[in-house]
Amino acid sequence: MIKNFRTLFSYRELLFSLTRKELKVKYRGSALGFLWSLLNPILTMLVYSFVFSIVLRAGIQEFAIFLICVLLPFNFLSNSVNYGTGSIIGNSNLVNKIYFPREIIPLSIVLANLFNFLLELAALFIVLGILRYPFYIYLYLLPVVIFIQFFLVVGMTLLVSALNVFFRDLQHLITIIMMVWFFGTPVIYPLSMVPEKYQFIIKINPMTIYTAYYRNIFYFVKYPDGAGFPSVSETLIAIGITLLIFFVGYFVFKKLEPRFAEEI
Amino acid sequence: MNGTGKKYKENKIKNSSDDTAVAVKSVTKRYRIHHEKIPSLKQTILKLKRTTYEEFLALDDVSFSIKHGETCGIIGPNGSGKSTLLKMLAKIIQPTSGEIIVNGPLSALLELGAGFHPDLTGRENIYINAAILGMKRKDVDRKLNDIIGFSELERFIDMPVKNYSSGMYMRLGFSVAINVNPDILLVDEVLAVGDQSFQAKCYKVIYNFMKSGKTIIIVSHDLETISDLCSKVIFLKDGKIIDIGKPLDIVSKYRAYIEKLEKKRIVEQQRTERKKIFKTVIEGNRKVVDGEEISRLSNLSIDGETINRFGSGDAEITSIGLFNKSERVIDYCSYGDEVKIVCKVLFKENVEEPIFGIRMADYRGNIVYGTNSRLRNVRTGLFKKGDKATVSFFFKVILIGGEYSVSFAVGYNDNKTYCDWINNMFSINVMHRNIAEGIADLDSEMIIEKK
Repeated sequence: MIKNFRTLFSYRELLFSLTRKELKVKYRGSALGFLWSLLNPILTMLVYSFVFSIVLRAGIQEFAIFLICVLLPFNFLSNSVNYGTGSIIGNSNLVNKIYFPREIIPLSIVLANLFNFLLELAALFIVLGILRYPFYIYLYLLPVVIFIQFFLVVGMTLLVSALNVFFRDLQHLITIIMMVWFFGTPVIYPLSMVPEKYQFIIKINPMTIYTAYYRNIFYFVKYPDGAGFPSVSETLIAIGITLLIFFVGYFVFKKLEPRFAEEI
Repeated sequence: MNGTGKKYKENKIKNSSDDTAVAVKSVTKRYRIHHEKIPSLKQTILKLKRTTYEEFLALDDVSFSIKHGETCGIIGPNGSGKSTLLKMLAKIIQPTSGEIIVNGPLSALLELGAGFHPDLTGRENIYINAAILGMKRKDVDRKLNDIIGFSELERFIDMPVKNYSSGMYMRLGFSVAINVNPDILLVDEVLAVGDQSFQAKCYKVIYNFMKSGKTIIIVSHDLETISDLCSKVIFLKDGKIIDIGKPLDIVSKYRAYIEKLEKKRIVEQQRTERKKIFKTVIEGNRKVVDGEEISRLSNLSIDGETINRFGSGDAEITSIGLFNKSERVIDYCSYGDEVKIVCKVLFKENVEEPIFGIRMADYRGNIVYGTNSRLRNVRTGLFKKGDKATVSFFFKVILIGGEYSVSFAVGYNDNKTYCDWINNMFSINVMHRNIAEGIADLDSEMIIEKK
C-alpha cells in the first residue's frame, strides 16, 4: 500500500492536470462559467427555503443558512460519487491506451469537487459576514472536519467507480442511493426532529455527525439554543466507519484495477 | 500489490551491466469472453453466479528479449496478439502467467492524442496529454514551442481541438508524444500520420531516436516500414511466435503466409461459386451445363489447393515431380532455371494414341501455360495394359515469383474424354528478383532518357 502511494505521488502532476481539466471542461462554453457552481446551491437553497419556511412552516430561523451550511458539504459527497461512478468507463480511451495508476481518474473528480466546495465555502463566509454570524468561533474545526469527510468521499468514489466497470447498473442505482442518503442525513431537517428511537440508526451514517459539526460551526453560533457538538464516542464511530469505507473502497479498487482495461 | 510486482517488473534506472531492455518470459494471456457482454447487478444477484464465459488465448507462452538500442518490429495477421503484447509491455493489461521485465523508463504510443478533450484548446491539451504520458509540467513549459512548432499548428493552437481535422489532431498527438523522450518506446500503427511531408518528419524523428540508442518496439502492418527501420522482427500468429530474426527473412516469410491466406480465400470463393453453378443445373432439371457455365466452371476448376481428379481410370497417373538440370528433385526454382516436370503413368487397359497434357496456373486460377501432345502433333502410339509411360516437360522458368499449381492429364484421342485428370497435383514455388509484377517476366530493358 505504501508503494502504491509512492507511485501515486510520482503521478501527482497528472492528478493535478486532470483535476484542472475537470474544472476547465465543466465550465467551458457556458456564459456564467464558474458562477454556476455558486448559483446551483443558491437556487436549491431558495427552493427548499420557500418550501420549509413558507409552505411547511418548519419554524427554523433563517432556514437558508441552516440548510446551505450542510448542503454544500453534502453536495461535495454526492457530486463526487455521482460523477465518479462512470469515470473509469468514461475515460476508456485513457484506460485502454496508457498506463497510470487508475485511481487518479476518480481522485481527480473528488479534487475538482473539493475545489468547488472550498470556493462555495468562501462565498458562504461572505454571506455569513454580511449577516453578522460569528462563524469564526469554531472555524478552527472546519479544516479537520473537511479533512475527515474527504476520506469518506474518496472511499465511496473509488468503490463505486471500480464496481461500475463490472456492474453497469450501478450508474442508475447510485442516483437513488444518493437520494436516500440525502434524506437519511439531517440536511433539510434538524437532527433533533428525528424521533429518539431512530437517532441510533441515523447516527451510524457518518455524514450525520459531520453535518452536525458543520451546522454547529456555521449556524448554531448565532442560535446557541440548538447547539451541541456530537459526543466524542459518536465522532470516533463516524471516523471509524469513514476509515472503513475508505479502506474497503481502496482495496476493492486496487483488486479490480488490473482488469479495467479488459472489461471496458 | 495484487501480483502486479510479480508479473511486471519495472526498473526505473537502467542497469548498465545488463543490456536487455525488455524481457518477456513465457507470457500467456487469456481473455474471458462473456457470453452476455457485461453481467448486470441484477443478473449477478439473481443468479448468484458469474455469467458463462469462454476463454480466449490471446498469447500463448511467448518469450523473447530485446536489447537496448534495438528496433524491433512485430508483425502478424489481425488477431495474432500483437496489440495484446504491446498493451502488456505498456502495463495496461496484465499477463495471465509469465513475467515481463522492463529496464528503463518506457513510453507507449498506442494512440495519438489519448485523453484529448474536444472542448479544450490545443495548448491546454498539450499539457494534459503530456502529463498522461508522464511528462513534468516544467518540461512541457520548456518544450512547448518545440511541440507546437513540430505540429505545424501555430495558428490553431488556441482553438478547441474539436475544430481540428483528424490530421491536425494526430499531428498534435504525435508532437507531444515524441517529446516525452523515454528510453523505450512502444509504437502501434501510429506512424501513418498526416501528409507526406509530415510523415517524412515523423520518420526522421524515429530515426533520430534509433541513432541516439533508444529501444523501439513497433507494431505495424506496413512491411516496408518494418524492414526499413527494424533490426529484428517478430512474427506472431494466433498468439504464438512463429519466428524471430532478421527483418528481410521474417518479412518475406510473413508475405508468403499472407499470399497463402489470400489463395485460400480465393479457393473458398471459387468453391462456392462452382456449387452455385451446379445447383442451378440440378434445380433446372438439366443434364447439360451450357456453354457459358462451362467456361465459368473451367475457370474455376483450377483452384489452387483442392486436388480433384476424374477420368475413366484406364490409365493412372502414379507420380509427378519437379527436377532440376542435374536430375535432383526440387520444390522450388528461380527465375531463369531450366527445369523439367516428370510424370509417370501406368496403363490399366489398352489405350490407342493417348494425349498427355499439362497445365500450370497461378494462385488465382489463371492458366499460365498449358500444352499437350495433340497440340504438338506428337503421335504416341498404342499403350498396352500394364505399360508404363514417363512424360517429361522441359522448360525454362520465366515466371514472376510465386506459387504455381500444376495439373496433368491423360486423355483419349477423341480429345474430349479422359483416362485420368488430376487438377493441381503439386505446386512449384518460383523465386524471383522483385523487379517486375504480373505472371511472366518478359525480361524487358528499361531506358530512361532525360531531355
